[in-house]
Amino acid sequence: MIRRLLALDGVLVAARFRDDGQLVEGYGLLDEHHMWRLARFAHDYKRFTQGNSDQFSMFTRLRGWTPPKGWIVRGEAHSVCSIGNLVCLVNNAEASLNEVMRELDDVSHF
Amino acid sequence: MIELSTLMSLNGAVAAFEFSDRGELVSHAVAPDPDMDPVALDMLSHVCVANISLASMQARGWEGVTGMNGFYPIQGFTLIGMDWTAVINGRHGVVLRNDSGDVEAAYRALGAGDQGP
Amino acid sequence: MGLIRDLMAQPGVLAAGEYSYRGDRFSYEGNLTREMARMASIMCRATHMGVHMECDILGVFCPGCGLVPSRGWAVRGPRFSVCVMANFFCILENRDGVMNAVLKCMHESLDEVAIDMV
Repeated sequence: MIRRLLALDGVLVAARFRDDGQLVEGYGLLDEHHMWRLARFAHDYKRFTQGNSDQFSMFTRLRGWTPPKGWIVRGEAHSVCSIGNLVCLVNNAEASLNEVMRELDDVSHF
Repeated sequence: MIELSTLMSLNGAVAAFEFSDRGELVSHAVAPDPDMDPVALDMLSHVCVANISLASMQARGWEGVTGMNGFYPIQGFTLIGMDWTAVINGRHGVVLRNDSGDVEAAYRALGAGDQGP
Repeated sequence: MGLIRDLMAQPGVLAAGEYSYRGDRFSYEGNLTREMARMASIMCRATHMGVHMECDILGVFCPGCGLVPSRGWAVRGPRFSVCVMANFFCILENRDGVMNAVLKCMHESLDEVAIDMV
């Protein structure tokens, strides 16, 4: 199912990870070791984002931020996007973040 | 002015380093044997800058919500590893051995003031 | 574990507590309201998770170096500091000798504790 993410423009890698950070499946331009590291990073970063949004909600009393649905880390040439237990590595020049996030959201429900 | 040589003279010092506001390594000194190189120190600097920012957010929020002041502005971050501890303040840091390092002496050398309640 | 009591016995310690890695429980002693202790637990847990992740990445650049895996962290403000090791936290005054004593107490109690719970 997550292979369909690779059909989007600019998506280089798509992977799914378990709640303990283990790689379930991954496709695209990374070898197995780096795919494993991406899954681990996405799992850890998800927890990190959850912790930060918990604190943001706690301090501001604003509703609607927690639990966070996903996150994007944007670098100069590449970005990492995640929703649920899915993560994508994308090329900034070719990918539409809106499109990638919409598709991640969709696929994360399967 | 904080000198790396002063930081390296602390008991148990393994490495001393200076970094930019963004966390990029500017200069460093490493004791003869340890497994620390400029690449690792640059990464450590980024870790430290990230955690100073995070702690600043927390101190701001905590003081705002509880009214208990004395945490903001953050004057230092310490990373405790298995055998070494990194102590950071401002744009300088020092890595100490856990078995012989003195964290409070490191903070003093890094210019963090003592302002007890 | 008697660590909280040991920490509270140190001069200059305002509060000490323990949080679960799952984030669903906490306990504490000291001069905080229950709500403050709950907030402190959330903050310490979030930072601890972040530091654990960062040290994991740091370990790629210095495999086997003495900073990894992480045991804990501390932050220092103008008047107070917070020390966290494993799932224990401690809020202390910045007086001479207090932080070193707290870290020593935590090291003695927690250095042998497994870290794979994080």
